[in-house]
Amino acid sequence: MNGAAGIVLAGGRSSRMGTSKAALEWHGSTLLRQVTGVLDRAVTGPVIVVRAPEQKLPELDPRVVVRDDPEEGHGPMQGLAVGLDTAHTYADTAFVCSTDLPFLHTAFVHAVLRGFQLDREQGEEAPIDVVLPLVHGYRQPMAAGYRTGLAPLVAQQLRTGRHKPAQLFEECRVRRLTDEELLTDPRLARADPELDSVVNVNTPEDYERARARPAPEVTVERFGVLATRGGTRGSVRVRAATLAAAAEQVGLELDGHIVAAVNGDQIRDDGQCPLLGGDTVSFLSADAGG
Amino acid sequence: MTSPPGGYFGQALLVDVSEGDVRRVPLPDGVLREYLGGAGLGTWLSTELGPAGIDPLDPAAPLSFVFSPLVGTPLTTSAKFAVVAKSPLTGLLTDALASSHFAISGKFTGHDAIVITGRAAGPTHVLISEEGVELVDATPELGLSATAAEEAVREKYGRRWRAASIGVAGERQVRYATMSHDGRHAGRGGLGAVLGAKNVKCVAVQGSRRSELADRAAVLAAAKDLRNRSFGPATAKYRELGTLSNLLAFNAINTLPTRNFQSSTFAEAPALSAEDLAESRSVARSTCASCSIGCEHIYASKSGKKARVEYENVFALGPMCGVSDPDQVLEASARCDELGLDTISAGGTIAWAMECVDRGLLDVPWLRFGDGAALLRVLDEIGERTGIGKLLAQGSRSAAEVVGQGSSAFAPHVKGLEMPGYEPRTMQSMALGLAVNARGADHNRSGAYEADLAGGLDRVHGTDEHVRAAIETEDRAAVMDSLILCKFLRGVFTEPFEEWAGLLGPITGWDITGTELRETAQRIVLAKRAFNLREGWTAADDWLPERFLDDSVELDSGRTATLPAERLRAMIDTYYAERGLDQHGRPQLVQTDSGTEPTP
Repeated sequence: MNGAAGIVLAGGRSSRMGTSKAALEWHGSTLLRQVTGVLDRAVTGPVIVVRAPEQKLPELDPRVVVRDDPEEGHGPMQGLAVGLDTAHTYADTAFVCSTDLPFLHTAFVHAVLRGFQLDREQGEEAPIDVVLPLVHGYRQPMAAGYRTGLAPLVAQQLRTGRHKPAQLFEECRVRRLTDEELLTDPRLARADPELDSVVNVNTPEDYERARARPAPEVTVERFGVLATRGGTRGSVRVRAATLAAAAEQVGLELDGHIVAAVNGDQIRDDGQCPLLGGDTVSFLSADAGG
Repeated sequence: MTSPPGGYFGQALLVDVSEGDVRRVPLPDGVLREYLGGAGLGTWLSTELGPAGIDPLDPAAPLSFVFSPLVGTPLTTSAKFAVVAKSPLTGLLTDALASSHFAISGKFTGHDAIVITGRAAGPTHVLISEEGVELVDATPELGLSATAAEEAVREKYGRRWRAASIGVAGERQVRYATMSHDGRHAGRGGLGAVLGAKNVKCVAVQGSRRSELADRAAVLAAAKDLRNRSFGPATAKYRELGTLSNLLAFNAINTLPTRNFQSSTFAEAPALSAEDLAESRSVARSTCASCSIGCEHIYASKSGKKARVEYENVFALGPMCGVSDPDQVLEASARCDELGLDTISAGGTIAWAMECVDRGLLDVPWLRFGDGAALLRVLDEIGERTGIGKLLAQGSRSAAEVVGQGSSAFAPHVKGLEMPGYEPRTMQSMALGLAVNARGADHNRSGAYEADLAGGLDRVHGTDEHVRAAIETEDRAAVMDSLILCKFLRGVFTEPFEEWAGLLGPITGWDITGTELRETAQRIVLAKRAFNLREGWTAADDWLPERFLDDSVELDSGRTATLPAERLRAMIDTYYAERGLDQHGRPQLVQTDSGTEPTP
């Protein structure tokens, strides 16, 4: 077993927002779909959403695994226990975050998860349990990396009434990554120099401010007949928050005959796949091969 | 004696070129229904007629030209034939398809298959018609390209003859020599060497005898419908640019094997792309017989040599060997056609040799990555079996066994067959398909890349889902290769097995269903495996070269594509279980009316 999972803790009450954060509109999609989509792009393991009992979620990619908190009201540690326990079958580590990170970038996820490798590279004997970003001086336990084997410890902590992540950190090996340390990752430094990945939206005002930002700028490439028809070869830069929006801006439609790859990675036909600043989107014929 | 099913003659022609003996053997209805034609029927014939354990180049080893119930009907892309034999490259079964009038003329001799055995005393052409079989002297055509030999036969004996021929590489028994008709090669596995070992230069056919159709009106209606669908968006890529349009797309998604799989992208790829060639050069377009797609794109190099351009030949002679000059790649491709060499095996073997030179394992200082002149020189040496070509004519597996020093770890083959242009670490359904397919590293018998490129699976992290997707494509290929229909049509079928049953029923008169065709697919896949088992295959042959399991590929996305040995092992184990094989990948064999058959 190797690789990493992505876990979104969606069970918060959204009390200051006054409405479900998960279902907030985000460039034609929803905030939860945005965050799960970013994690799906970032990790090789499954993406897991942990929700509160009876919580209604917006439509998600069918590959996303949904799990329920057994009880409501125990804070993020309850969801963390469920998420890590589910992920443990598939992955050694997981990036864990909340729903309300509209600018989460894959480069940030990678930079955090890379923190687990440092112990091996530096010859440390015991593995790191938690990679905890300290962004602008603030700890980010809801945008952090956790070893999935921590699930029993988290459950034990809950049984003893220790419901805060800080109490968990007292019991395990934590690597803290400051802004400077995070930004030594050149890809993160390029893609998210202000570390907006941890900007969260708690109130309607936060949401309005975030939503007012323009869609990310991405590069679009077309190949094969998609490029030669109408003399549209070469790459173009467009602003688009989803694959469908990028396709539309170059006169294409993800109609089953066209698929896309983002930054040379997975092939996608899901129009709601989120795009991030600096992405390169490659559109190609679905019937590749032969 | 009852009439054979529609679309069939119910017999195969056996020609022993040693003595000129000719006999016809009946093909029972049950066998035809169980194995259809093409690759499926060829597998059955090879199993029944080929002595177990025989050297593929032994006179007694059979080589079968196999037609199908669809050949001669107006169904688009149906003018195809399979050539099937034990491969001198892999030592296992190989079947290669080609599309041309040879299929129609060959079937119209009144046979569902033509099987050649023996070894002629001297260079020989085999002329087969409804009237009989004639063996004629081929000495004047020795040393000619397949195309020139074909033309010579037609000049001598009449334009109605269609001849499948070998080039110099086949005469010299290069282990990956092709045979071809009208420039279209039955390319993989060294079938040209098998014919060359029989001292046969051309097999020429002519005939006008048509098989019956059970429901002619229904066949015509189905043909009209299929033809209309073949003009749609599912085939646009093939029609407008050809398969070379894969090149830049594959480069963008880290799956363009470069410099013997040391990289999955090639910086100079745009110079070789279909998009560039189409823009900068004039192109001649052509179609196979009875085809409404028209995927062939023929470009000329500066020297005027013309080459049919496809993704696989450009990948193998371009990025795989680090060559970026389109004129040199076109020249190399044309040279392979003239010599009669499989471009994939040639490119893969040469790329391996280039890496050996880089590592100081081979003392051939002129053979370097990126050197197009060296590429042309070594192709000639392989075709003529001179210089380093004597070693490389054996293929990368055997050559690596000779060179040793760890060079097998990066010899790009499975079961001895060189790998096509798909990076297995970034296409892990395909990785499984390449590892387990009976023919070896193969993109036509396992089209598992379809699953990796469809968008539903994470292509860099193989799971049981990838395995099931690979099996589905393998099953589809088994039926398409036996009906026979061109795989470039696959996108027009929404319920393929049911639709194929709908095509086959009116031809044969069989009340056949998609479910039965799925069982047929499984039978054919297992029959190939059973043949290989008889010839010495073991589970260790279902594997990938160490390079793919030891090294990772960094993606632009920040993810890393790795294919750990334990993941590949798990996928293969799942494949065995899903196929009903034992834990060593062996099918269970039972005795039936059709012979010894695998049972799931």
